[in-house]
Amino acid sequence: MSDTTKIKAKLKDGIVEVKALATHPMLSYQEAERAKKEANFITYVIAKVGDKVVYEASTSQFLSKDPYMKFSFKGAAVGDTVELTWKDLKGNTDTSSEKIK
Amino acid sequence: MMNRRSFLSLGLGAVAIAAIPGKLSAIDFRETLPKAWSATKVDEAIKEIFGSSTLTEGSINLSAPDIAENGAVIPVSFDTQLKATRIAVFQDANPESAVAIFSLNENSVADYAIRIKMAKTGTVTVVAEADGKLYSASKLVKVTIGGCGG
Repeated sequence: MSDTTKIKAKLKDGIVEVKALATHPMLSYQEAERAKKEANFITYVIAKVGDKVVYEASTSQFLSKDPYMKFSFKGAAVGDTVELTWKDLKGNTDTSSEKIK
Repeated sequence: MMNRRSFLSLGLGAVAIAAIPGKLSAIDFRETLPKAWSATKVDEAIKEIFGSSTLTEGSINLSAPDIAENGAVIPVSFDTQLKATRIAVFQDANPESAVAIFSLNENSVADYAIRIKMAKTGTVTVVAEADGKLYSASKLVKVTIGGCGG
């Protein structure tokens, strides 16, 4: 899987605001048991602009399905690319990117 | 006069320096703090993550609904002026307490929003670590339909 996260990144007054919507079922252990599936959820998200880390989160099963993440950072310009990568419990990863507007 | 070659090598040096803090700050707390995720009490989870559970109330703006009709999608947002290095989110409605841990660096602006699941009515707690102290904010969210298979 790749490029499944929708990203919007906008620069305003020196601060880039990113809204990202990942695509993932985020099945908690309870939900998985009920659905007779294996639990799986995003455990780690990192966003970078070039080499700079601009967002980093370790996450649990309690983020909603198709997790929404809003975050802000400094030190980037219009046209720079935000690259967001997540990893889930089963080791799947996704990297998506979007230019800052 | 600076010639082209020395100018270029200066640029390369700057890139190398810039790359180092980025690498250092990449920490997957799933791997480094495995116990934090299985803790069933908010206090325990805070202690596992921050090494202490002595909290100072305030300095964080936490926003969550008073009543969530759908426990599967509860918008939670928070921001702070603190120079926080780590911020973590907890709740006491699900079997385990920890929801997420954010790492901040010199580029970060402490202003986040996520959506979380809660099986029943409970309290959302956000803890920020800044200047060696722990700050917190809490909010009760009434859940009318549980969202964690509950």
